Amino acid sequence: MAIVRDAAAPELTAGALRDAPSRPLGRALRRYAPIGIGVIMALAMIVLAAGAPLIAPLSPSAQFSDAVLKGPGAVERHALGTDEFGRDLLSRIIWGARVSLQVGLASVIFGFALGVPLGILAGVQGGRIETGIMRGADMFMAFPTLLLALIIVTALGGSLPNEILAIGMALTPNFVRLARSLALTIREQDYILAARALGSGQLRVMARHVFPNALYALVVVATLYIATAIRTEAGLSFLGFGIPPPTPSWGNILSEGRQYIKCCPWITTFSGLAIMVAVLAFNLVGDALRDLLDPRLRGE
Amino acid sequence: MFQYVLRRLLVAVPMLLGAMSIVFFAMRILPGDPCVAMMGDQATTEALADCTKSLGLHRPLAVQYVDYLWRSAQFDFGTSLRQGYPVSEYIARMFPHTLVLVMASVILAALIGIPIGIVSALKRKSPLIDYPLRIFALLGLSMPVFWLGILLLIVFSLRMDIFPLIGGGDLDGALHMIRTGEVFSNPADFLAAVGDVLHHLTLPALALGFTLAATVSRLSRSAMLEVISQDYIRTARAKGQAERAVVYKHALRNMMVPLLTIIGLFVAIALTGTVLTETVFTRPGLGKMLVDAIGARDYPLAQGAITVFTMIIITVNLVVDMLYAVVDPRVTYR
Repeated sequence: MAIVRDAAAPELTAGALRDAPSRPLGRALRRYAPIGIGVIMALAMIVLAAGAPLIAPLSPSAQFSDAVLKGPGAVERHALGTDEFGRDLLSRIIWGARVSLQVGLASVIFGFALGVPLGILAGVQGGRIETGIMRGADMFMAFPTLLLALIIVTALGGSLPNEILAIGMALTPNFVRLARSLALTIREQDYILAARALGSGQLRVMARHVFPNALYALVVVATLYIATAIRTEAGLSFLGFGIPPPTPSWGNILSEGRQYIKCCPWITTFSGLAIMVAVLAFNLVGDALRDLLDPRLRGE
Repeated sequence: MFQYVLRRLLVAVPMLLGAMSIVFFAMRILPGDPCVAMMGDQATTEALADCTKSLGLHRPLAVQYVDYLWRSAQFDFGTSLRQGYPVSEYIARMFPHTLVLVMASVILAALIGIPIGIVSALKRKSPLIDYPLRIFALLGLSMPVFWLGILLLIVFSLRMDIFPLIGGGDLDGALHMIRTGEVFSNPADFLAAVGDVLHHLTLPALALGFTLAATVSRLSRSAMLEVISQDYIRTARAKGQAERAVVYKHALRNMMVPLLTIIGLFVAIALTGTVLTETVFTRPGLGKMLVDAIGARDYPLAQGAITVFTMIIITVNLVVDMLYAVVDPRVTYR
């Protein structure tokens, strides 16, 4: 006993004294810094995508025959260098943000809009409806996201709407499962019983009580899935099944640059970096949101 | 226990059937005629009709579907349009390359990810240790495997010339030596073949292993955090055990049980990762075979590859579920 008391006491005292003045600030920084950084990065990406025509220094498809495969800064007007057709890499990456963000956001909205109602219906209704919905979701979950998206996009052809549809469908089973598990917990709550006692029908219970109470957790996961969707889109484009060139997407810039990694590694380096920063931004926001909203992690 | 296993098996069978149905119908709505893809645009109508008949595509869809299920159950996926020989033979040749890559990357991910997760959880109140480790996990999670692969190729293959740029090494040679018993009569050649395989495997396994390690470290961290908040840990501390003993004797052992079963699931994630990794490193394997087959409109090969991928993933999930029931007796009561 003595050993425990002697060992713990000085550490506690010293720690408490040392941390006392900076604790509120330090805790706030630890709590809000990741979400702050993530939000700034994500907002910067949204601004880049939305303002691409104004922000990009040159047209993404303009070819400069005097500046083919030039490195960053080798020619003044091309800050990040050029590709094999003499196109400005910085402009292509800025325009590529549009594709990534459109696919990232739209496919998650698609998966959310399709998966959440099905999941809530399965969780609240139970019985055969639940079995049917969940077995269907399980079937699709046998395919990893990239593989399922690859199958769908191959069947439909590579274009922006098809890519959104493919990734959205691949994400749907994840939303179904999550929404169902949340609905299973929520349906047992007293306020659901109260709503039913007041005469609310099944649809009203689901829309007015279950969905709003599940929304926080669903939004957190949706944010993380934006990162997954951006990565999947880049993967599809990299494999040659995404948006066809010359429309710039980070994945197809990286894929085209692969042939020139020996002489011109900047093409793959910068386009890959753009993918990583975008995925990191949404991962940071999602992680931080989860930590903020999860009561078990408060004070960590 | 037996009932649990039986129930899981019964759930897995319709799931597999459903997944195979998705593959079949997805392949049927693919744009383009397989016979045109095989024979080219210049083929005569008669030749195309013969081809359609020989592939069995003239039959009603329901008949084709039942035939596909029956043949797939016997691992007969037809003949590759491009290669001209049985798909199952092709898959059998590619499978060892993918298996080696998956195993190497999962082992690497566990070796890197588990210690990082544990340290990060135990030192969560020391920002100087916890934060860099969590940043590592976030970076790993955000870094696309194909980009990391390209960066590794630029540095270690092109600049430093330490590792090969393409290929999978002499795995076929090494396997042939094992099959024929040559491994004992000619050990030097066998070791050379194994060395060649490892030489080709290092960069792909590093790329895939690193991205997986990030997820493993996050899961290990939460598993450890969960365990150290348990009553038996508090009891161990209360009875005066040293922190080291609490961690090694109680926390670590209890955390490994769920973690080891989760590692099984990583086989499924790694398998998907091989599609991108094998393409980046121009390495033979199921993933690259699938991408090439879809690109070349080789439907039987693509269908066979996707079916095998799905079969492996469902089987791995099934094994993991059973493993979980073995290590956690409470599962059997569900």
